Amino acid sequence: MNIFAKTIAAACVSASILALAAAAPAQAETVLRLDEVAVGELDPAKASDYADSILMFNVYDTLVLPAQGAPGLVPHLAKSWSADGNNHIFNLRDDVKFQSGNPMSADDVVFSLQRMQELGSGLSYLFANVESVEAVDEHTVMFVLKEPYAPFVSSMLRLPIVDKKLVMENLGAGDGEMGDWGQAYLSGNAAGTGAYKVSSHNPQQETVMAKNADYFLDIQDAAPDTVRLRYGLEPATVRTLIAQGEHDISSQWLPPEVLKALSKDGAQLLTESGGGGFYVKMNTTKAPLDDMECRLALSNAFDYGSAIKMIAVTDDVSQGSPATGAIPVGMLGANPSTDDLARDMDAAKRHLEACRYNPDDFNIEISWIAEVPLEERFALLMQANFNELGIKSEIKKMPWALFAEQVSKPENTPHISQLFVNAVTGDPDTLLYGMYDSKNAGTWQSPEYLNDADVDDLLEEGRVNTDVAAREKAYKALNARLMAIAPTIYGYDRQSVFAASDRVKVPALSDPSKAFGLDGMGFSFRLMEMQDKS
Amino acid sequence: MRRVMWILLSNPLSVIGLLLVGTVIFSAVFADFIAPFPSHRGAVVDFSNFNQPPHWPNIFGTDLVGRDLFSRILFAYRISLMLGVVVLAIAVPIGVTVGLAAGYLGGWVEFALMRLTDVFLSIPPLVLAMSVMGLLEPTLTNGMLAVTTMWWPWYARLVYNITRSESQEGYVLAAEIIGASRLHIMFREILPNCVPSIVTKMTLDLGFVILIASSLSFLGLGVQAPTPDLGSMVAEGGNYLPDSWWLTVFPSLAILIAVFGFNLLGDALRQILGGDT
Repeated sequence: MNIFAKTIAAACVSASILALAAAAPAQAETVLRLDEVAVGELDPAKASDYADSILMFNVYDTLVLPAQGAPGLVPHLAKSWSADGNNHIFNLRDDVKFQSGNPMSADDVVFSLQRMQELGSGLSYLFANVESVEAVDEHTVMFVLKEPYAPFVSSMLRLPIVDKKLVMENLGAGDGEMGDWGQAYLSGNAAGTGAYKVSSHNPQQETVMAKNADYFLDIQDAAPDTVRLRYGLEPATVRTLIAQGEHDISSQWLPPEVLKALSKDGAQLLTESGGGGFYVKMNTTKAPLDDMECRLALSNAFDYGSAIKMIAVTDDVSQGSPATGAIPVGMLGANPSTDDLARDMDAAKRHLEACRYNPDDFNIEISWIAEVPLEERFALLMQANFNELGIKSEIKKMPWALFAEQVSKPENTPHISQLFVNAVTGDPDTLLYGMYDSKNAGTWQSPEYLNDADVDDLLEEGRVNTDVAAREKAYKALNARLMAIAPTIYGYDRQSVFAASDRVKVPALSDPSKAFGLDGMGFSFRLMEMQDKS
Repeated sequence: MRRVMWILLSNPLSVIGLLLVGTVIFSAVFADFIAPFPSHRGAVVDFSNFNQPPHWPNIFGTDLVGRDLFSRILFAYRISLMLGVVVLAIAVPIGVTVGLAAGYLGGWVEFALMRLTDVFLSIPPLVLAMSVMGLLEPTLTNGMLAVTTMWWPWYARLVYNITRSESQEGYVLAAEIIGASRLHIMFREILPNCVPSIVTKMTLDLGFVILIASSLSFLGLGVQAPTPDLGSMVAEGGNYLPDSWWLTVFPSLAILIAVFGFNLLGDALRQILGGDT
């Protein structure tokens, strides 16, 4: 063949390849774009807030999962579990591989728990009661508790399983045999079994994740191929990006007015109830709030109706529903949803008269967390409400870091602190024990410094009793006691609301029968459906 | 005086400056009488009428807890002006004294005072004010303190330069020859010759002090709620753009008017008094 013929032949081959490529276009990848507040903590043993939970639930897996649309737990990495006194035994699946290709075994579970306890940050307090953990065989693991703890299995929702082999290969410098327990490595890399792998991670800016083709469960095709989770976007930026079709799901921290505007423009509103509430906490060690009657006066004067109006997004969707007591509706021990708390100025005045202090002698300090602008509005609402009772107050803006530091001493803790608190495992113990047990006073969750023997006893009863009916009775009694002594104004039961474009369907955040009832779990990307392939 | 007024009124920009400054001062002084809802400067909430666009009687709309924005802007002017006046009332005497002493006495006094001034001038003003506010509680008094800390060195530098050239003039030498005291020469002979420049700079600075104070409260270091403050209003409203535009646009315009007015007036005074700033 001469050179000319060769050239013609080569040109024909290239042309046919190009034609084939044009006839069958490769399927474009789908990208999901969402945002959360900084910082995105990738190390699962340090995960504590919402952004961390999103990362944790997608990059790692846990032994159990919350049931969708119902109370209770379902198997996940564990096939089954049983309890014998203080011993809890979990049988693991044998077909699970980490993203590294290493098989998952009981050793990894043991390592994950020890690592969590050793680092002592994030939600490790949930496992303080675990005396020991051992691998009975390759796929069986046993936890031994120091003392009975009824909701132990649900705390497994917060124990992500880490790839021991991979971490051991990447130990950093530190004291002892385990070095830094892989902290340096895991703060920037993933070592999980999860449905999404981490492609890149900058805790202040963005984490990019890609679908894990080897996941042990089937992931539907419609689930996003790539996820870009951005941190720290301004509400006005998110508002504009969604309207222009350049963003898919907002964080829950958008003010109600912005959500309202987005919904008017056609964005869908997604919701998640994670078993938590808005709590206005009163420092029970500081006069005049050390007198129960004064606290009751304030909690009766609080305008619950206006609070609900303030957080309404549309006629049907709101960032919360009326509170009925200390325990959010739907949780063990909660009052029925018909028992809405309401403002009662007559009762407020009665309680104020019974209070041993003269209101004129005090100036109540109402603090609000600088990072949560909505709280300033609640502070103004309270100032106006308390004014009507003749109680003077001043508003104090506090950055989170300053607040967290000041609450460690009762005398530095403001009279009133506003906090959003959630049950991290969905069980009332993880909501109430940290807030009201006298041993836990002086953390960001417990600026009340409550010291009440009845409350302590009932909290203990709820923890150790394994019988559900008995636990419910204990929590109902606890709820009643917390209403009677009013360490807190129970503002409203919280619901997270997210604005989303129509490119994505999120059944876990829009269909109550698919909802998990655990904060952050609704953001399991593998269960989301992208609507287009653009 | 008549000449001053004539020059002021013959320049359209000065007239605008005068009008704007007049409006700002009038609003601040008579806020109690002009504001349709004087009680809205304080602890008032009205959730039946919150986040409403401009309408009668809330001509600038209402804020996120239902307070009248127009009334709050009028009262915010009062706070801003008070801040400006107090800051300059403290910063100017300090700066002028330092500048006079350094410029006239010379030697180690000059070296010590002017290097100290340089240290303050070398730190970006907003950063210095933020550090002061970060150390102290964010209150109005501390806000004034923070802004004052960064303001006096500019007057020290200005007066120092003028004093250096004035101290070579014949009238100063004459005063020295007849045995006048140093204090007399500094404050009675040299200072009156610095006044035009100082007055011009003060007028210009009033606008900048308001701007810096607004920047501090925009960053969350200013006065506390419910006290109305222009910077905080802009910062808070920024989250609700573009839908609730009135929350940001009107307070921003209010800052613009004040700063623009004082600048125009300052420029006019510079022309008239021949100040060198």
